[in-house]
Amino acid sequence: MSASQVHAVIAAGLKEPGLLARWKQEPEMLRQCGVDPDAIDLEALLKFAGLTTKVRHNGLRGDLPLTFRLLNIAGLEIEVFRAYAIFHAGKSFGPTVQERIDDLSHFLKQWLDFDKREHALLWDLIRHEVALARLRKLDVIADAGSMVQHRVRASSVPRVRGEIILHEMQSDPRVVETLLSQKTPKLEQAPVGDFYFCYWRPNAEDLYVLELDALGFYLLSAIDGKRSAAELSSQLGGARKLRSGLLNSLAELVGVGVIAFD
Amino acid sequence: MKYLDASSDKIAVGLAFGPIVPEFIAESPGLLDYVEVPFEQLLHTPEVGSIQDSLPIILHCASMSVAGFVPPDEATLKLVDREAKRTKTPWIGEHLAFITADPLDTTASPTALTYTVCPQLSEETVEQVACNLSRLRPQFEVPVILENSPQYFDVPGSTMRMTEFIGTVVERCDVGLLLDLTHFLISMINTEQDEAKEIDRLPLERLVEIHISGLNVQSGIAWDDHATPATEAVFDLLQRVLRRARPRAVTLEYNWSPSFPRSTLKKHVERVREMVGNS
Repeated sequence: MSASQVHAVIAAGLKEPGLLARWKQEPEMLRQCGVDPDAIDLEALLKFAGLTTKVRHNGLRGDLPLTFRLLNIAGLEIEVFRAYAIFHAGKSFGPTVQERIDDLSHFLKQWLDFDKREHALLWDLIRHEVALARLRKLDVIADAGSMVQHRVRASSVPRVRGEIILHEMQSDPRVVETLLSQKTPKLEQAPVGDFYFCYWRPNAEDLYVLELDALGFYLLSAIDGKRSAAELSSQLGGARKLRSGLLNSLAELVGVGVIAFD
Repeated sequence: MKYLDASSDKIAVGLAFGPIVPEFIAESPGLLDYVEVPFEQLLHTPEVGSIQDSLPIILHCASMSVAGFVPPDEATLKLVDREAKRTKTPWIGEHLAFITADPLDTTASPTALTYTVCPQLSEETVEQVACNLSRLRPQFEVPVILENSPQYFDVPGSTMRMTEFIGTVVERCDVGLLLDLTHFLISMINTEQDEAKEIDRLPLERLVEIHISGLNVQSGIAWDDHATPATEAVFDLLQRVLRRARPRAVTLEYNWSPSFPRSTLKKHVERVREMVGNS
């Protein structure tokens, strides 16, 4: 096998990981390229394509330091980026950090197995970091609306103050962050369950992560500044007449300041 | 502009350029002797060159495909030369690897990669390296030195082990060695060889520069990782090499992550300075 032919095959496979996947299915195709299929470890080459893909995403580490730390600690870097290299084959990576984060998130949503604990932690953590990074970059003007807690009526229309991003998660990324700050993180110590978070940027200075209960989360998800409390109650499966649970939830959200009534 | 004193007999200690380097230089004055900067970075983000107001630059390069069969174009070589002259780098470090290869479809353009790849370890490649270097070297006023690649898989058609390949290239081409200890250790792990025994077989009398960085084993293979610190095994190799050889420079490549722990970085730079007798 001449060196130039071998280099040509390796380079073609790394450039187009879809070819590596195809050669794995049809190894005899390699003979036409001058390479003995038994002499080449295509799986190792795919993993190497994963490494090169990972390195090409180093620019995302500024926004996603915890995600990359988790990938490393969980031993998922090569596995994830190997799969991403194939998933993304034939396309070029986005020119901006934001586009690359969006593309990577889109891939992870499809590829991760949320029944696997570390995959679930990863999915929660990347959404946590993306939400924080996205809100930090926004120019938010403080909402001058009143935070005075009025008596909520059925016709009252709540609206969100500032910008929010809502995520339903299986873990608390703040706990995972604390674990990841340790020299030898024990990820199994991160509790899993149902978690509801609101990432809230009320103004240019502040950014909060609010942990909500399920009702508060779905209520906040439904608030659009147009629907009244009665309509929200109805949409969430209750009667148009406001029940105490919903009223309490609205009052709590007003108390925190994330919503207001004009 | 600062320049590295080529006549100094002390072993210089520096960092590969990365997102944390400017801040680290400001925080730790006097701890670094130079910054190693990739030619490609100077080309695409020329403002990086302003780091030379603070520290000398050693030029690194990944564009010349020294172990490949597709030569770099003249324009690229002229740009490398321009940066070498501008930075007054004492040498140009280049990978003993390929980054461009012939296309599978002979009517297409060569396949250009973004990452250097370990070549076939064979006499044929050694001859090609010699041929390439004979064309490249007259283009520059400073020496080109070659950096060993990490070997992640057996390259088909290889007839030599990594140590033999490096030794044969260095001897045949009469060229200086940039020994990346992490690449070396990775190659040894992945090919199940004894790194301590093998490193003693290297032509360390040709050693000019050393690289160290982190590595990790994932999916059954050891990988280069500039986002994590060098392991004790890498420092053991450094100690072993320093017993036999006196390189001109040791570069820590911790340049992939802006969140690389500053305290670890400082500790490792100080540790290397102490090891080379330059604390």
